[in-house]
Amino acid sequence: MQEVKIRIRRSEPAVSNEVRYQEFTVPVGEGMVVLDAVHYIQNNIDPTLSVRWNCKAARCGSCSAEIDGMPKLMCKTRMDTLGKEITINPIKAYPVVKDLVTDVSHNYEIAKKIPPFTPKEGLKEPWTMMQIDVTRSKEFRTCIECFLCQDVCHVIREHQSNYFGPKHVVKIAALDLHPLDSIDRSELLHHDGGLGYCDITKCCQNVCPEEIRITDNAIIPEKERIVDHAYDPIGLLIKKVKRRKW
Amino acid sequence: MEKNMDKSLTWFPPEFKELNWRLWSFAIILILSAGALILYPVSQFEGYVDPFYSPTVAVIPLIALFRLSCYAYRKDYYRHVFRHPIACLDGIRFDDNRKGYSGEMTFFSLQNFHRYFLYIAIVILPFFYYDIYVSMTYISGEFIFRLGTIILIANALLLTLWTFSCHAFRHLTGGHTDCYSCKTAGGAKKKFYNGQSYLNRYHEQFAFISLIVVLAVDLYIRALIVGWPIDFTLLKFAI
Ligand code: SF4
Ligand code: SF4
Ligand code: FES
Repeated sequence: MQEVKIRIRRSEPAVSNEVRYQEFTVPVGEGMVVLDAVHYIQNNIDPTLSVRWNCKAARCGSCSAEIDGMPKLMCKTRMDTLGKEITINPIKAYPVVKDLVTDVSHNYEIAKKIPPFTPKEGLKEPWTMMQIDVTRSKEFRTCIECFLCQDVCHVIREHQSNYFGPKHVVKIAALDLHPLDSIDRSELLHHDGGLGYCDITKCCQNVCPEEIRITDNAIIPEKERIVDHAYDPIGLLIKKVKRRKW
Repeated sequence: MEKNMDKSLTWFPPEFKELNWRLWSFAIILILSAGALILYPVSQFEGYVDPFYSPTVAVIPLIALFRLSCYAYRKDYYRHVFRHPIACLDGIRFDDNRKGYSGEMTFFSLQNFHRYFLYIAIVILPFFYYDIYVSMTYISGEFIFRLGTIILIANALLLTLWTFSCHAFRHLTGGHTDCYSCKTAGGAKKKFYNGQSYLNRYHEQFAFISLIVVLAVDLYIRALIVGWPIDFTLLKFAI
């Protein structure tokens, strides 16, 4: 069996300020993923190593970490795609609780600010809609809330701002593009959500394990909707004229 | 987390205050090439209209603004000129919290007028097709098909693909509506939007290939002027 060296960042801020990288040697078998290796360490070398996970099937979004500097799910990253020496860090955009476990609760605060699905008035049950209209927002519903996109986004990682972050734009786009929803959340994104801070550099889209085309399909369309009501005088004029009943 | 930088926002973006050789070398290259275009104009040669002069050199600033506000180019220069961030991988991102950042909140919120430059570009686009026609019929009573015409056709097609794969155009064709099957009869709108979305996937590629081809056409015509014998004729007859 092959052996791989794994460096893991260890810390527990509530107890001490100490941060250290600990190296473990792990035997690697066929089909093994990074989470397996971390479990091997927990079970055989150091049971105090903390990691959060639930499904080991890339469904729950718990095991986000930075593997060799790239935000990834540990359960979806095969060991044979990596080298002989691997470094695992907790996701940097959020405060560490212990070792690889981070506190992502800031995202739940943001989520509370987003108005939920609000059906149009006077809809007759059962609601009918065309599949094609639902397809667009379906892409966003595959989001597993792993916050990898939030972690890689430089606006959140390197600059402080009120920007909600790509994950929340995905959520908003899912609601906004729904054919039976009645609210336009792009105004919220423009003001409280700070979408203007996003410079469409697409790192979020690069790391999304669900392969949601975050920037192309959620962020840019929301930006264009913001242009509609905040920047485009001719568009506004046309809308006004259209709204008038002749 | 939320220290709120909003207070520090001024119209002048902090990105321009960085010691950034990439930005200034980019600016110098732009100025030099603008100078070259003006000092050594080659508006046309043997029926070939230089793409920079189609329909007139006066539209260059508008086309330049269309390119500069295009989402594909924005991504590229925010990454490679301003390094916000240059790469997604930790350790080589070259972005950090000591660098000022305003994104598209202040000066760069002007990018939001991209759709107006799109409208202008759509108006200018037919001239490139007219140039193809001219290149084949510039001698009266004769039809001629040369290598240069093929290059002009490629140029026009790529410009068309780039222009119509634009994100602002996508918004126009269906992005603005929540129910894109409801509008217009026969699902025409739906089909159009889906087709456009397909092109849109390759928008970045079209953006850069079309730019390279425009430059190549310009160089091709310049090469002909200095006498390179590369423009062979494929077909020629009297009409
Ligand atoms: S495209 Fe926008 S949201 Fe996505 S990583 Fe870049 S700045 Fe962040
Ligand atoms: S959009 Fe993708 S990367 Fe972001 S939280 Fe959802 S699944 Fe994770
Ligand atoms: S353990 Fe559930 S996504 Fe990795």
